[in-house]
Amino acid sequence: MSSVAVTITGAQGQGIDSVGGILARACKRSGRCVFAYREYMSLIKGGHSRYQIDIADRFIGSSVSQTDLLLTLNHHGFEHDLKHMRPGGIVLHDQEGWKFSSAQQAWIAERNLRVVAVPVHALLRDIGGTPLLRNVVLAAFAWSMFGEDRALLADMVKERYARKEDVLAANMRAIDAGIRAREEQVPDLTFALPPADARWKDRLLLSGSQAMGLGLVRAGMRAFFSYPMTPASPLLTVIADLQNETGILVKQAEDEITAAQMMSGAMFMGTRAATATSGGGFDLMTETLSMNAIAENPALFILAQRPGPGTGLPTWTAQGDLHMAIHCGHGEFARGVLAVSDANDAYSLMNDAFNTAETLQTPVIVLTDKHVAEGIFTQEPFAAAAPTLSRGLVTDPAALASLQSADRYDPTAATGVSPRWLPGSHAATYAGQADEHRGDGSVEESADNAGAQMDKRLRKMKAMKAALPEPVLYEVVSRELRVVSDDVPEVDILIVGWGSSKGAILDALLDVTQDSGLNTQDSIGFLHYSWLWPLKTDRFERLAKQARKIVLIEGNAQGQLGRLLRQETGIEITEKILKYDGRPFFRDELAAAIRAKL
Amino acid sequence: MSIPLDTTGSLPTMQDYASENACTWCDGCGDYGIWTAVKRALVELQIHPWQTLLCFDVGCHGNMSDKIDGYRFHGLHGRVIPFAAGAKLARMDMPVLAFGGDGASFSEGVGHLVHAIRSNYPIVFLLHNNGNYGLTTGQASALTKQGVRMNASPNGIPEATLPSMDFIFSLQPTFVARTFSGDIPQMTRVIKQAIGHRGFAFVDILQACPTYNKFATHEYLLAHCREVKNHDSSDFNRARQLAIDTSDSIATGVLYQNVTIPNFYERLRSREGRETRLVDEVTPYDIGGLMGRLV
Repeated sequence: MSSVAVTITGAQGQGIDSVGGILARACKRSGRCVFAYREYMSLIKGGHSRYQIDIADRFIGSSVSQTDLLLTLNHHGFEHDLKHMRPGGIVLHDQEGWKFSSAQQAWIAERNLRVVAVPVHALLRDIGGTPLLRNVVLAAFAWSMFGEDRALLADMVKERYARKEDVLAANMRAIDAGIRAREEQVPDLTFALPPADARWKDRLLLSGSQAMGLGLVRAGMRAFFSYPMTPASPLLTVIADLQNETGILVKQAEDEITAAQMMSGAMFMGTRAATATSGGGFDLMTETLSMNAIAENPALFILAQRPGPGTGLPTWTAQGDLHMAIHCGHGEFARGVLAVSDANDAYSLMNDAFNTAETLQTPVIVLTDKHVAEGIFTQEPFAAAAPTLSRGLVTDPAALASLQSADRYDPTAATGVSPRWLPGSHAATYAGQADEHRGDGSVEESADNAGAQMDKRLRKMKAMKAALPEPVLYEVVSRELRVVSDDVPEVDILIVGWGSSKGAILDALLDVTQDSGLNTQDSIGFLHYSWLWPLKTDRFERLAKQARKIVLIEGNAQGQLGRLLRQETGIEITEKILKYDGRPFFRDELAAAIRAKL
Repeated sequence: MSIPLDTTGSLPTMQDYASENACTWCDGCGDYGIWTAVKRALVELQIHPWQTLLCFDVGCHGNMSDKIDGYRFHGLHGRVIPFAAGAKLARMDMPVLAFGGDGASFSEGVGHLVHAIRSNYPIVFLLHNNGNYGLTTGQASALTKQGVRMNASPNGIPEATLPSMDFIFSLQPTFVARTFSGDIPQMTRVIKQAIGHRGFAFVDILQACPTYNKFATHEYLLAHCREVKNHDSSDFNRARQLAIDTSDSIATGVLYQNVTIPNFYERLRSREGRETRLVDEVTPYDIGGLMGRLV
């Protein structure tokens, strides 16, 4: 594999994201696989912002910890990002005449970095451009170093500013200025991208939030209620931007409780609706989640994780809310919990989440995190085939006519799932009831009834568990990753994980197995959990019992999935790679950590 | 009063709304009157039980959830308004009534009330206003008179009483009515008009609580409530004055109504020109066009 990392850095408000997005898409269209990763602080202007684009000739779904080419739009890049430069890397900056400290000079020498001051300000003066165009000048300078076609970069800028003619013209001048400066002033300065392959050109390049928005739309979601909170807000923005075209009702609610209640009301009436928030907002929603459990009302909660406790690290990532999702809400009840790991999951699991919520008549929690929500993925176009929407509703007029009110919460239902028909149906009516109730939703506090209804609702866990898939096993065979079917061969080394760390784990495994130092007799498998509750354990137990070593990889401090597996199987995973500093796993660091465990 | 006497069975009757569950409110509770007026209003509007959704907060009034027929939802304390709004928006053709007490609506759920008025959701909100938390045995609400001794406030509450009507009018409502749990005919008329309102209908029902409210009793309300006569309900300032000045008597009836202001749903550009309801639209949506922009 050939791969490079290009990072653009500067102050928030300097257009780091917009130019990062343009460069990332241009690289993808030029025939490379791209994964982009953003870091920023919880403020609007002035904080440090960086946009890292990993570019490769094979599929990648993660970032590395070191940059090959740095574009910095202010001197903060020297403080924050020089230390992350790979030996032999190139630094482009616009701080002409900058005096590096002696420590920085020593580092530059030690790392053999080539530092190039681009006269961005003079170039902009010459073309009458505003300082806001600094990002475009530097990006065009870099693009010229890649030896790529000017027209491709210009197309990306045109797509972005198609509706603003004057802005577009100024951007075009900035592109020309950047390219000309490189050609005239440092013609020898080049930077090789990995070999191009046409198969990447027509892939999608999208964030996890965009993919999730499309997945929800595809699954027939018709209403979305949310209160802004990073990193869930990008999803609100995505869906809000689609509302006029799709007719989806979007409501920015006055608080998270409102968002959760409006979603619940809309679902009770029979449409598909969802709400999304992060940890703190989710705490506010959990009483409503519990309400839906007893009223047996389908409900979809999207929980975009960031590090806590408290306000924590608002713009960073974590996988720390798994236990909360499984245990939140008062009382004992059935729920489904799943986690998306990338754009593909974020799209394709949304209909499964709705189907589970509706057919089991219970809350479902979808875990995502900042890394998926804002990570930019190269993705094969999603399949055109329409998904099957399983709604579990009684709609046939004859069947409706034969219903009794007491059928709604009939405690004798074998699977715990009793008939659900929608308000407005010409049929016997019932009360959706958050007090303990008998079949028709009438409040009933007798001991017999309380036990029967609790048993009924909890039976749904068994039905849900039976319907859910086992975790997916990936194995590296002949230096290619493949998904292993159910009748697995044994694996010597079993890696277990869930959620967004999948991208780095898969990338790192390829790196590890291509390392000549590895004992080639060992087979390595990665067991990845999408559905986390109810927890499927058959496959894990089978693999764990014959594996020579099991390694748990999670983005939290306590190994939360590991604890759940021990709780459900008695198997304790002692080898752990845990990360809980707000940063995602970087594939080079993770590969080293895995090697150390082998 | 004009309850249709239907012998064909095609129109709803009071019997259709009857429940086999016995009422559990205290003798003399205002909930009996409200319960009766709600059923009458629905019957007179020829709405069958299966054609409406009645949403209940938690409190004494919430125990109505299984004493009446119709599709119903009985959820959390303080949260009935957003639940009802979400339900209504999903199915705009169905009348949705939300019931809440003064305890929940002016404390735990007060934010929802503010934003429901601002959003002008097309739902009816019936405030069971008995001036205290009845179901938890008589604690002071935000509308209890300052200084009155209540359960958990043996010295009387130190907080000022929230001037509820002035507060409601400060939010630029589109429908405000006040009525009294002892006047079933008036409640019926008011609820019918509220159901026909375009946006958010706030109906303040002054309700006797014989067990815990010793300051605004049935007899007091009977003596002080006066239906407004020759009142122009489109006059916002006059309505506000009538609503907040209760020194001599308490003005009841529909005090204010503005039908020129679109409701929340009507304001949504995303729903312009769409005849279907959200509940009709749950089918796989073709995202081919949306996806094409992400290459």
